[in-house]
Amino acid sequence: MPIARPAGVTAPSGYGDSSTLTTDSSLGFDSAAPDASLSAGASDGVSRGLASGRWLGWRRRALMVLALLGCVGLFALLRYLAGTHYIDVNWRVSSTGQIELLSSGDAQLRQRAGQYLRGLETADGHMLPAQTLASRPSPRWIVDDEERAQQIVLEAQLAAAMEQPSVRLHFDGVAPIDIKPVPRGYAGLGAPFWLLTALALVLYLIGAVVVLVRPDERNLLYGLIALCQTTNLLLIALESLQGFGLPLGIGEVNSLVRLGCDVITGAAILHAISVHPRQVPHRKVIAGFGWALALAFVGAAALGGASNLWWWTQVLLLTYGIVCTAVLTWSYRLLPHPFSIVLRRIGLLLAGTLGLLTIAIGLAGREPGVQQTIASIGPVIWYVFFASAVMLIPFLSRSQQVMREFTLLAGVSTVATSLDLLFVAVFALGQFTSLTLALFVALGVYAGTRQWILNQLMGSNMLTTERMFESLYRAAREIESAGSSGAEHLSKLLGELFEPLEVTHSPRTVPASRVVGDGSTLMVPVPQLPGIDTGAAPRGSLVLRFARRGRRLFTREDARLTDRVLDQLARAIAFDRAVEQGRNEERARIAQDLHDDIGARLLTLMYKAQSPEMEDYVRHTLQDLKTLTRGLAASSHRLSHASAEWKADISQRLHAAHCELHWSFDIEREVNLSVVQWSALTRMLRELINNVIVHANASRVDVTGRYERGRFTLTVGDDGVGRDPQGWSHGLGLGGIRKRVKLLGGEVRWRDNVPRGVVCEIRVPELVERQER
Amino acid sequence: MAVKVLILEDNPVARSFLCRVVRESFSDTLAITEAGDLESARKQINLTGGAQGLHGVDPFKLILVDLELPDGNGMELLAELSQYPATKIVTTLYSDDDHLFPALQCGADGYLLKEDRFEVLVEELQKIVRGQPPLSPAIARRLLTHFRDGGRPELRSADSGFSRPVELASSRPVPIEKPADHERLTPRESEVLTYLSKGFTIKEIASLMGIKWFTVNDHIKSIYKKLNVSSRAEAAVLATKQGLV
Repeated sequence: MPIARPAGVTAPSGYGDSSTLTTDSSLGFDSAAPDASLSAGASDGVSRGLASGRWLGWRRRALMVLALLGCVGLFALLRYLAGTHYIDVNWRVSSTGQIELLSSGDAQLRQRAGQYLRGLETADGHMLPAQTLASRPSPRWIVDDEERAQQIVLEAQLAAAMEQPSVRLHFDGVAPIDIKPVPRGYAGLGAPFWLLTALALVLYLIGAVVVLVRPDERNLLYGLIALCQTTNLLLIALESLQGFGLPLGIGEVNSLVRLGCDVITGAAILHAISVHPRQVPHRKVIAGFGWALALAFVGAAALGGASNLWWWTQVLLLTYGIVCTAVLTWSYRLLPHPFSIVLRRIGLLLAGTLGLLTIAIGLAGREPGVQQTIASIGPVIWYVFFASAVMLIPFLSRSQQVMREFTLLAGVSTVATSLDLLFVAVFALGQFTSLTLALFVALGVYAGTRQWILNQLMGSNMLTTERMFESLYRAAREIESAGSSGAEHLSKLLGELFEPLEVTHSPRTVPASRVVGDGSTLMVPVPQLPGIDTGAAPRGSLVLRFARRGRRLFTREDARLTDRVLDQLARAIAFDRAVEQGRNEERARIAQDLHDDIGARLLTLMYKAQSPEMEDYVRHTLQDLKTLTRGLAASSHRLSHASAEWKADISQRLHAAHCELHWSFDIEREVNLSVVQWSALTRMLRELINNVIVHANASRVDVTGRYERGRFTLTVGDDGVGRDPQGWSHGLGLGGIRKRVKLLGGEVRWRDNVPRGVVCEIRVPELVERQER
Repeated sequence: MAVKVLILEDNPVARSFLCRVVRESFSDTLAITEAGDLESARKQINLTGGAQGLHGVDPFKLILVDLELPDGNGMELLAELSQYPATKIVTTLYSDDDHLFPALQCGADGYLLKEDRFEVLVEELQKIVRGQPPLSPAIARRLLTHFRDGGRPELRSADSGFSRPVELASSRPVPIEKPADHERLTPRESEVLTYLSKGFTIKEIASLMGIKWFTVNDHIKSIYKKLNVSSRAEAAVLATKQGLV
């Protein structure tokens, strides 16, 4: 997972990874063309950018500066925090709601382990209750206005107290002790703090990268969102500091800043989706409305004019969520970009969990005490969920497995904590029972929805393997038999594979399949298929847009799969071709051998024949052999060409026999005869003419052929001495004709001709083109 | 003085048969020279003044050439004898135009199928010597394609005889510039060819076009001449295709 590794706080490693990210993600979210036109422009920009060092140069430098700034800022914060004073205590909330001291870094306090802490008395005599200190809810997430004000005051007092040389801790039933606050040190920050700051840093870097790759409206908005959430995460990290004691001044700004960040994020998201993936009409109005609402609210909150501030905030955020969903639905109607659907799903998940959390905390806030820890952890998890979703968005089409799972887990955890709170608040269940129940429900939800969400969100469900192979080989067959129209069949195959809304052909050539337009578009190079002569025609590429009828994003796996499919297709075609060529070569070789060897022998035999009958017999054998070998060597014959040759052959032979030929051939539509059909017709015709020449003693022969609507009729009539053909014994020649007609699926009959001679009529009801395979 | 005839045929039985055909066909005094392979045929031709047919020497008036010979293809000899002042006739067992069309391009004046009846052969031979070139429908089609494509023989003809698929698949060199001496067919000649390719006889064509049969014949002769002229320009290409060089 290249995204997580930059979490290393050291600047060089963060920089190194981010720079690879720059080139990578240029195909993702940030490079998408905002309009409906082909994202060629975007990829053009990328290739141009990659080509010129300057383009990459200043961005890389700017990214380095930003990364350094972030790291230095973080380091300064860490240094400052390490210098602040605190009292190192670990406690546990007992079942009665009291604060039980567990352990402490302080030697004096360690002896008091296991006792209940009542409160903390500052040097100027203020008593800070232990329960409030211990639960330490974030002012942003305190439902009641008054409580929040109290909490802020309390935090200020605590911060002030930490600056004093000593504070007095009161315990239940034991004498209070005076403790001297000590500097925190790096070790005193606690694991949650480190994790949250790392996450914040990663989010910050991703935001920076996205903005730098293409500093336009959308990406700047994304940067703003990322920055707000970074701030949120950092503030949450500060709140998560362990032990008693907060840095001075944090408490007062904390609430307002976090509220501001949340509302600005909402407005920014609304603005962003009104321009991406498609610019919706009246987007300026929508965005302006969002911003106005946000600014007005933050202003009102800052002036302290609002009551029920928390509720209003939550309602406002949920409203943003609903409006965003509506805008995305609208945008999808205008342009079926799968990105809208994915965004909408993510948005619904976020808004849904936020709503659940709001209800849970709103209800639980009225219950005193016990669940305060959970209530303060719930929002934290939700923010982590939100931040991970924000991080995920630029990489939707690159299917970052780990990040996806992480996001899913964070979401499910939010659900779990919210449910836990709800159970306690609504059903008055015990702490343990509700926790267990919530966990089970959440796990069930996770297991049940994971596959569904994964499929729906990014979609990994493809055609079944069998169907894919089937399509693949069918396409191979079709391309092979159709010759040059490779691109057409290829687009059909890819259409079956991905069900895109549109497939177009672009003259641009890409070296390999690639996903552009943040997963809406897949560019597939038209491959040079073996044996298909595309000549000088540019190969270009196929552009598939909006997979699964616009409900799915293309991923890098899809591009790889496509490349593999193309590879297999080329292989299948090459294989088919090799087989076909081998077959043809073998046939031609057999034909040549037959013709050369047997033909020469028959010729000699013919010259040495004892009688004219024998000579004729051998001659016919030789002609049959030649027909056979020609049929073997060629693959198909056109009916019109075949008829011309028949005519030339027959007229020559009849001329030698001093017989007149009347030839009429009527071909409605050109048809390709297969080898079997051609040789059957050729030999039947020759046999019939032979019979006329040898037996009929005719002076005139009528040959008519007619091909219409797939039906072929052939008649050979003479004016010879033959009569009453029904009574003829079926000699070898007539039997051969019957056999051949049967082979063609037709029928043959002889009848008396008027005024003399006989007519043979051959009907083939379906003389259709057959695939010779 | 006897008319000199050369018969190049490796099968002795066929050779004597062809001798009979030739003797039957002409009333002149004939001096028939027989050759069993290309080498001896070349020797005989050199004795009579070489392949260029020098003046002052008594050359062969009629040459019958078989295609498949022990030491090569009869077409080699035809190509060498393109300037030789004799009537050159291919006698072969191959009736497919993948053998005959190149032979025509090499300058053959006609072809005879060895398995034909004695009388048929005699008649055909007389016709050819009288200047009636034979044209089968398939050959006519090939000619049409040849002139339409500017001297490129059709690659995938419907009945491609014995040509190997390998040859079909391989890309042949094609002259970039059209040969300067490549002549086009006149509309009349194309018409004649088209009718021929549809299987009409010369007589039928004459009545269809409303002209005399010898006019049709003249058109055919002219087509032949053009074929030979155009084929010289691409002789190198052909030689490669036929495996002559």
